[in-house]
This record gives sequence, C-alpha cells and structure tokens, in this order.
Amino acid sequence: MKHAESELFRRQTLALFFIVSIVPALIVGAVWYAYSQTTVLNFLILDFNSFVFPVIMVGIVPALILSFIFAEILTRPVREIHAAIQRLATGDFSRQFKGDGQGEFNEISVALDQVSRKLEQTLSQAFSETALIKAERGKLHSVLNSMSDGVFALDRSGRIVLFNKAASEITGRSITEVAGQLAEKVMPFRSDGELVMTRWLALGAGAEHKVGQWKGLELYSADGHSLIVDVEAVVLKDDPNGIAALITFHDLTKSHQLEEMKIDFVALAAHELRTPLTEIKGYLDILHTEAKGLTKTQQQFLSQAMSSAAQLGDLMHNLLNVARIEHGEISYQTDVVDYRSLIIDTTATLQTHATQQKRTLTLDVPKQPLAILADQSAIVEVIDNLVANAVTHTKPDTGKIYISVIAHRTNIETTVTDNGSGIPRHALSHLFTKFYRVNELKSTSRGTGLGLYICKSIVEAHGGSISVESVEGEGSSFTFILPRSTIATKASSTNNKLTITKGAHGWIKNHTVR
Amino acid sequence: MAGSKTILFVEDDKPIAEMYSRVLEREGYQVEFASNGTEGLQKATSKHYDLILLDIMMPEKTGIEVLDELRGADGSGSPDTKIVILTNLAQDKTSQEALKAQADGYIIKADIVPSQLASIISKLL
Repeated sequence: MKHAESELFRRQTLALFFIVSIVPALIVGAVWYAYSQTTVLNFLILDFNSFVFPVIMVGIVPALILSFIFAEILTRPVREIHAAIQRLATGDFSRQFKGDGQGEFNEISVALDQVSRKLEQTLSQAFSETALIKAERGKLHSVLNSMSDGVFALDRSGRIVLFNKAASEITGRSITEVAGQLAEKVMPFRSDGELVMTRWLALGAGAEHKVGQWKGLELYSADGHSLIVDVEAVVLKDDPNGIAALITFHDLTKSHQLEEMKIDFVALAAHELRTPLTEIKGYLDILHTEAKGLTKTQQQFLSQAMSSAAQLGDLMHNLLNVARIEHGEISYQTDVVDYRSLIIDTTATLQTHATQQKRTLTLDVPKQPLAILADQSAIVEVIDNLVANAVTHTKPDTGKIYISVIAHRTNIETTVTDNGSGIPRHALSHLFTKFYRVNELKSTSRGTGLGLYICKSIVEAHGGSISVESVEGEGSSFTFILPRSTIATKASSTNNKLTITKGAHGWIKNHTVR
Repeated sequence: MAGSKTILFVEDDKPIAEMYSRVLEREGYQVEFASNGTEGLQKATSKHYDLILLDIMMPEKTGIEVLDELRGADGSGSPDTKIVILTNLAQDKTSQEALKAQADGYIIKADIVPSQLASIISKLL
C-alpha cells in the first residue's frame, strides 16, 4: 500500500472524493476516485471536438428550449394575474381570470376572481348609490330652483350657505354675491324700518327648533327697489348638514301693486260717478227750493227725480262699501263714543224722514251715558239701514217703528222693531247674506240686498252681533249688540265728531259744543 | 250774521262751484272762488276767510296739499279759519289724511245737497 500510495501521490492526478455517510453526523467511510491527469487531459483535449461539444450542444439547447417553455408555463399565469390586477385597477371587471385548471396559480386566480367579483359588486353598488345621491341632489336642485318663492339657508353664524334662483331673481343678487355673507347684511327683512328676524333667529349654540311667519315685510333689492314679502323661517336644531335656519320668502310686490291699482281705480271710478250725481241732486234741490208756480204734477215729478237720485246715491254707496269690505280696505276709526247721545242724534235726523213718510218713530234709551269704542259713522249707518228697512216694510199712517236700547253689564242691546209685513220663515237665515232679497222676482221692495250684509260686517267688526226675529204679517225685530267700552266717555259726554246728516259719510269736528 | 262771514271756495268744477255758491250767497255768505290749488293758496294767504271749502282733486295743487301748507308742519297755521274738505273721494285713507292735517271737516259732495251744506256751515261758523 505504501508504494502504491507514493506512486499515486507523486503523479499528477485528477481525483474525485466522496464521503459516505448514513446520517450527517455519522461518517462511515470515503470513496476516492483518482485518474491520471494526463489521461484525463488527453481525453478532454483530443476528443473535445469530436465528442464533448456535440454532447454539450445536444444537452444545452434542449435545456434552453425546455427552460424557456417552463419559464413560459410558469410565468404566464403570473403575467395574466398581473394584467388582470391592472385591469381591476382601471375598474374593468368584465374579463374573468382564466386559470389552467390546476396548481397554485389556479387557486390564486379563483381567489382573484372572487375578489374581482366582490369588488365589482361593491363598487357598482357604490356607484349606483352615488348616482342615486347625484340624482337626488339634482332633483333637489331642480325643485329649489324652479320654486317661485325665494329660499335661502343659514349656518350657525348666520351666514348664507344656500340661495335659490328665485331668491336671486327677486333680490337681484347672485349666489356668488351672497354666499358666506351675513343674512342681516344682504337680506335684511324689515318691518317699519326695524330688522325683524335677526333677534328671533338667535342662531348659534343652543338654538331651539322653531317656525316663524311674518307678513308684509320690506326688503330692498340690489338696485334699491322696495319689495314687500311674506316670510317664513325655520330654525333647525342640530342639523347634521350644518344648516341652522331655512328661510322662504314670497314676493308680494306685484300683487300689492295690482291690488293698489284696483283700489285706486275703484276710488277714481267712484269719484267720477259721484260728480254727476252731486250735480243732479244739487240742482234738483235748488229747483225744488226756488221753482215757483209748479203744478202739483210737476212737483210730484220733481220729488220723484229727487228720491231716485237719492236712491242712486245709496246704491252706489252700498256697492262701493261692499267692495271695500271684500278688499279689507275699510278701516274703522274707533273712538270712545257716548252711544246714548249718538242714538238720540241719529233718531232725531231719522225722525224728519219718518214723519215725511208718515211713520211713527219712537226711541227708548237709558238716562246715563253709555261708552262704546266705535266708529261713529259706521254705527250711524247700521241704525240708518235698519230704520230705512222698517220704513220700507211698514205702511204710511199705521207704520210704527220703535227703537229700544238696553244697557247690560258688558254690552248694549239695541232693537229696531216695526209692525210691517214681516219676513217669511225660510228667508230668515239668509237675510244677512250678500245680495239676498226676500222677494227676488216680485220686486215688492227696491234695494240691492246689501244693507243687512253691510250692517252685519260693521257690527261684527266692532266685536258685536246682529240677529232677527220676525212673524210674517206681524212685523220684524232686528237686534244688534255692541260691547261696552271699559273707558268712560268724558263728563260732558259729547262726541268729538258731529253727525253730518242722514246718509252722509264725512265728518265735522264738533268745535262749537262746549 | 251770516252776511259778515267770508268763504273761500276752492273748486275746479265750475257747475259745482256755481251750484253751491248760489245757495251759500242766498244764505248771506260772501263767497270767493279759486279754480285751482295754487290760486286758492295764494288767496288764502293774502286775506282772512272764516271758512275755506277745499276740493281735493284739482290741477296744480291738491286740496290736501293746500291744507298742509295752510296749517303748517305743526298744524297750528291759520287758527281763525275753518277748513273743510268738500270732495267726492270717499276713501278712508284720504279722510284720515285730512284729519291728520287738521281739517275741521270732511264732506262727501254726493252725500249732501246744497241746502244741507248751508246748514252744516251755519253750525260750524
């Protein structure tokens, strides 16, 4: 062995050495292959071209091809997944993942597919919700901007955060002009020059939920025009969108102008109608006084013309009064009035007329002054109307009209009773209705059917009531009740305005009575 | 007595002016005329009248404007002259304007006849 050994080691050798072990820790021996270097080199050098190269080529090329194919097989799913993820990223969920039906990539693609579908579902749901919200917002926008009323909203600091189209059109201010501005600066609603809403709104912490309404407030448009608006405001408590108040306003300017034009027109038309009537009545009156030597028939003609002119005057007065009542234009000028002297004065004027018509008129009134808060000429009109009706429905010579006044603790009851034709039972409930006439077609009496309607309006405007009792063929009895005033009349108990004359509706200051 | 009283009648409608003046003169009043507000104001400030009857709807100056100028801002002008509006405007607001401007009366022409006007004036003067 020693020799062999030395021989072996002395020569240049190419050796291969393997350690033989059963388990890593237990080496059982070693295998040693040794070849002479020369032999190996000879073999390599001499036979490389004829043997090794072809072998290498035959081995490497397929290996390369195979490795390429394997790489392709291995990376394709990865690339597909990558592409798919990129598609996902751009929001394209249309293509499903194509797994190869086996292996880990298939599991991944199945999982990705699920993720994709889930994502698509969630996103499409989110999209449809967004679309819904957009649609809702669009609707809200349309509604707000197609409203004819102005709408604006305020935040907690009272600044404008919403301003609809009508608000812009009415005020002449654009949304960009008012957004973020204090409402009291750009939208100052005033009543008699005073700001009305700022204090009421009381926005900020602890604001309470409430609703407020104002009628006929003033507002100035951007170009300085005065507007009249009705306003409704809502204060919202803890609104999640940060809206503290919502204000709606309705522009009344145009309808106000129209209404005023209408009233002015009626007033003007009435003025124009009264002017010729004044002359007819006036010149007939002069003729009646001055005409000498008229025959009895001629005098009758004159009387008839005078009475018709007077009737025309009453008719016009009543028609215009109804128009004023309907338009709410009548404003009663109330004073503390002594009702006792008022009814004594009125009866005295009516007495002349009643005597002319051959009716007896009597008055029964308490001795003490009776204070009422009233528009004197309006109350005179009520008494006038009731007595005129009584005269119409009674007969000359036998006709009796009796006015009685009873003072109760809180009110005064006045009854006008006559012994005339009376009113049919069926007509009683319609009597105070506008244009109602008992015998519409028979035309037994003249009139528009407005007198009692006007009486009712006047009495009710004074906080009183009016009623009727009647038996057909025996007579009628009209009663109106007026509340007593808590303020007493002055000791002298004279009224500060003088009743002009029956049927006249102006006033004269009573300077001469002391 | 009535003979010593002077009345200025400011009225642009001639037939109406003539109609009333006929009766007032018959009653012994001295009646002078003005046919518009400006002329009325001129006459009223240059001479004393016991009573001025004022129409409202007139050219140049309305009766209310004449009343305003005669009574002045504090309403105490022309204290010895009674001023009565004689008009066919029956609106409450006009009547109230006249009351505020210290008129002594407000009469609607169509509601009365000339003899009634005469009796109202006799009570007033």
